[in-house]
Amino acid sequence: MVQLVGSLRKEVAESLSTCRVLVVGAGGIGCELLKNLVLTGFKNIEVIDLDIIDVSNLNRQFLFQKKHVGKSKAQVAKESVLQFCPTANITAYHDSIMNPDYNVEFFRNFMLVMNALDNRAARNHVNRMCLAADIPLIESGTAGYLGQVTVIKKGLTECYECQPKPTQKTFPGCTIRNTPSEPIHCIVWAKYLFNQLFGEEDADQEVSPDTADPEASWNPAETEARAMASETDGDIKRVSTKEWARSTGYDPAKLFNKLFKDDIMYLLTMDKLWKKRKAPLPLDWHQLESQGRPQGEVKAVGLKDQQVLGVWGYCQLFQHSIETLRSELQEKGDGAELVWDKDDAPALDFVTAAANLRMYIFSMTMKSRFDIKSMAGNIIPAIATTNAIIAGLIVMEGLKVVSGELESCRTIFLNKHPNLRKKLLVPCILDPPCANCYVCASRPEVTVKLNVLKTTVLALQDRILKERFGMVAPDVNIEDGKGTILISSEEGETDANNGKFLSDFGIRNGSRLQSDDFLQDYTLLINVLHAEDLEKDVEFEVVGDAPDKAPPPPSNQEDASSIANGNKDSAQPSTSNAAAEVDDVMIVESEGEEEEEASSSSAAAVPTSGTKRKHLDDETGEASVKRPRTNQSHESADAEDDDDDDDIIALD
Amino acid sequence: MIDMIAKEDPIISEEEAAQYDRQIRLWGLDAQKRLRGSRVLLVGLGGLGAEVAKNLILAGVKGLTMLDHEKVSQESCRAQFLVPVTAQGENRAQASLERAQYLNPMVEVRAQAERAEDQPDDFFLQFDAVCLTCCSRDLMVRVDQLCSKHNIKVFCGNVYGYYGYMFSDLGPEYNYVEEKPKMVKPSGDTNDGPKAKKAKVDPNETTMVKKTASFCSLKEALEVDWTTEKAKAGLKRTPVDYFLLHVLLKFRTDKGRDPAPQSSGEDARLLRQIRDDVLESMGLNRELLSDDFVSYCFSEMAPVCAVVGGVLGQEVVKALSQRDAPHKNIFFFDGRKGNGVVDYFGPQ
Repeated sequence: MVQLVGSLRKEVAESLSTCRVLVVGAGGIGCELLKNLVLTGFKNIEVIDLDIIDVSNLNRQFLFQKKHVGKSKAQVAKESVLQFCPTANITAYHDSIMNPDYNVEFFRNFMLVMNALDNRAARNHVNRMCLAADIPLIESGTAGYLGQVTVIKKGLTECYECQPKPTQKTFPGCTIRNTPSEPIHCIVWAKYLFNQLFGEEDADQEVSPDTADPEASWNPAETEARAMASETDGDIKRVSTKEWARSTGYDPAKLFNKLFKDDIMYLLTMDKLWKKRKAPLPLDWHQLESQGRPQGEVKAVGLKDQQVLGVWGYCQLFQHSIETLRSELQEKGDGAELVWDKDDAPALDFVTAAANLRMYIFSMTMKSRFDIKSMAGNIIPAIATTNAIIAGLIVMEGLKVVSGELESCRTIFLNKHPNLRKKLLVPCILDPPCANCYVCASRPEVTVKLNVLKTTVLALQDRILKERFGMVAPDVNIEDGKGTILISSEEGETDANNGKFLSDFGIRNGSRLQSDDFLQDYTLLINVLHAEDLEKDVEFEVVGDAPDKAPPPPSNQEDASSIANGNKDSAQPSTSNAAAEVDDVMIVESEGEEEEEASSSSAAAVPTSGTKRKHLDDETGEASVKRPRTNQSHESADAEDDDDDDDIIALD
Repeated sequence: MIDMIAKEDPIISEEEAAQYDRQIRLWGLDAQKRLRGSRVLLVGLGGLGAEVAKNLILAGVKGLTMLDHEKVSQESCRAQFLVPVTAQGENRAQASLERAQYLNPMVEVRAQAERAEDQPDDFFLQFDAVCLTCCSRDLMVRVDQLCSKHNIKVFCGNVYGYYGYMFSDLGPEYNYVEEKPKMVKPSGDTNDGPKAKKAKVDPNETTMVKKTASFCSLKEALEVDWTTEKAKAGLKRTPVDYFLLHVLLKFRTDKGRDPAPQSSGEDARLLRQIRDDVLESMGLNRELLSDDFVSYCFSEMAPVCAVVGGVLGQEVVKALSQRDAPHKNIFFFDGRKGNGVVDYFGPQ
């Protein structure tokens, strides 16, 4: 009988007390993880989180209490843990893991890194740092009842970026501006409107009717004529929305009439759009006022926020929120901009009102503030138990790592219901690294299809290198024999290049760009494939990405992050809570899943690529084909949905 | 008809709505209200008990009563996070009370320093659900029989080193609902395409479907007859964890405790012996359960408590809210393999 310390062999227990581990994130998974680590015997723990505590965290982040709201998560987590384990040696950092202070040397201090994150940018970054430092990484994610844990070790397993992950779903401009068919389109429109009126104006977030919509034209010649007309003549687009609004003093009635009456009437003149669609119905403020019923008549069911008001109610909400936001802007002074935040009441009120009015116009069932908050804010429902389970599994894997038993590490999926093999927790053998992974392969290379005449250096840096390829501070030079520097990570050095097009530097079809992120110790060679036939709203395509069943082009990447995050630059740490409730969780999949249409879901984050992966079931060695889930909170995607009949039936 | 928990319909305050926001968005307001009206008894505040307490308190039940007769030992500080390190020698339930209450002031948390065995039947009947950890087989069978008669939901669970289980008895006729998406049939006229629909149907609309499930008693679940042809045929697909559970339950019956590191040598011998006896009495081959397990079932491993406590906690939440299909009827976790299975044991 081996010598035990608690449940563990003596040697393992001793390793635990001396090794140093890093926990990235002190939220839902992080709190549970810290607790498990100290109780298991890990003594030296460092935890980092940039966020502060919010009241909505308290249903699961049990290290925090009401009195801690507003304080640093990492800091309070540390203090709470020390309460029940005073001998633990914990260092807390209220900071972003993407801060260059946390370089490869920093990561090398640890025997193990465990992610407890909620966004892809940070996961990509930590993935690269751990590859660079050659430290094992345990990656995990949860959403609702589902969760997943996996182990990443350079050279032995797939890295986080070996398999392409589904990108944030975005919608074409004309759907948002002209022909919305689902509530989410109206919500996105309303968020754009918020930015146009009160925030940072963005050319990719237009709200006015799109006269150049190809669908509006009866023939190609007309499309061209429309496109040219909208660019040249004094159209609706010419005057910036914000300028116009300011000129009216942000008068709610005037704004209302333009957006919900005049613009709609304009859309109606584009009659081809309405040949096969129900036409929108312009609104008249005074008519609605006289028809409006007092709210008191309707009996409330559910939370206050879950009530769906009548259209007049949303007119009033539109008015009141504009008045509030207008004052906020005034208070902030000249050139002030507001940032949309789901937890900012007037901002959410505005989006609720504007989106609902638009839904009404386009004959959609209006939504409550509660539901709109979910969709606009990309809220992923979360509970304590799922996080507790996943955090328990993380430590189980961690013990294997620390004991040097990497070959027994697994990816484990947590299902909502047991699968056909009765498994609620499904361990799967880890896959070896992908030979052509653009991150962990020995000399990673990609081919990017873009238009060198229309792509700016700034777009290359922000949309392609940062957003798409997860670099934080890229340095780019052209392989032109002269090593011409295109982008420097040093602040200001290459700003002059930003507005220029790639072709201005002699970049053309077949050119190669060497892109480095020194912090991540990552070099990516980009082969340029020049194309002039990319779809509308598509800036670039990465060649070799697994094709979708019905591939929506990865349009406007910046769009994606601002819809999802409410925060434009996803590479930068956010100081507000807004960006914290973000896009994704690891792909959580289970066996035997029904194939699903990539329907637009209540969250704007919807996987768009249907990558098939084979995960070998640990015990049976059977391969099971997995599909990414679409909407996590709707359990339609559950394994074993053998219910063709929705009658009352006994389970067995 | 879904049977309502016979309580007044509790109102969810603004404060609760804000705190429970992320879970209301998952399981709905109705479920949250039912939780809000439920009282739960938790027996045993070891590692697993602490996890279940945390999960139920965070979920927002009306009241949680923690009952334990054990004292805080040096082990306890390693096992669970509710007892302060200074509380050695105190009663485990009482020592856990303060931190448990801090988890969520909106829940009525109570502690009772007593033995579950000593409680009269009446005591158990004041609860909507009863959760038994660190209990002997006999006690669990007795409480299960009593509670099931009175429509009280019963859960049992324990963690032994790398292994853990949880059992549910929701009664012979358990009614619940499942949320299913409303199927939007494609329009019959293919010429028009989807955009020709007059009214826009929200693709995310869902509908609540009523269902019923039937559970057997713990006694029946444990007394499966493995000598029948049918049982023998099903043996291959049966998790061996079931037999391990029998061994560990027998150990507790014989020794009044679970295997302990302090006496690991002796306990190991006894475990192997019990394994032989148990399997023989079932008419099964002793090789069904290899010697291996013996090294790995000592003490409560914190991460295993977290996993089992998470599953168990969620089953209690589901049962109290009568929403979503319950696991039927035993969940087994094997921490060495990372395997978690649910299987049914009892009469067909």
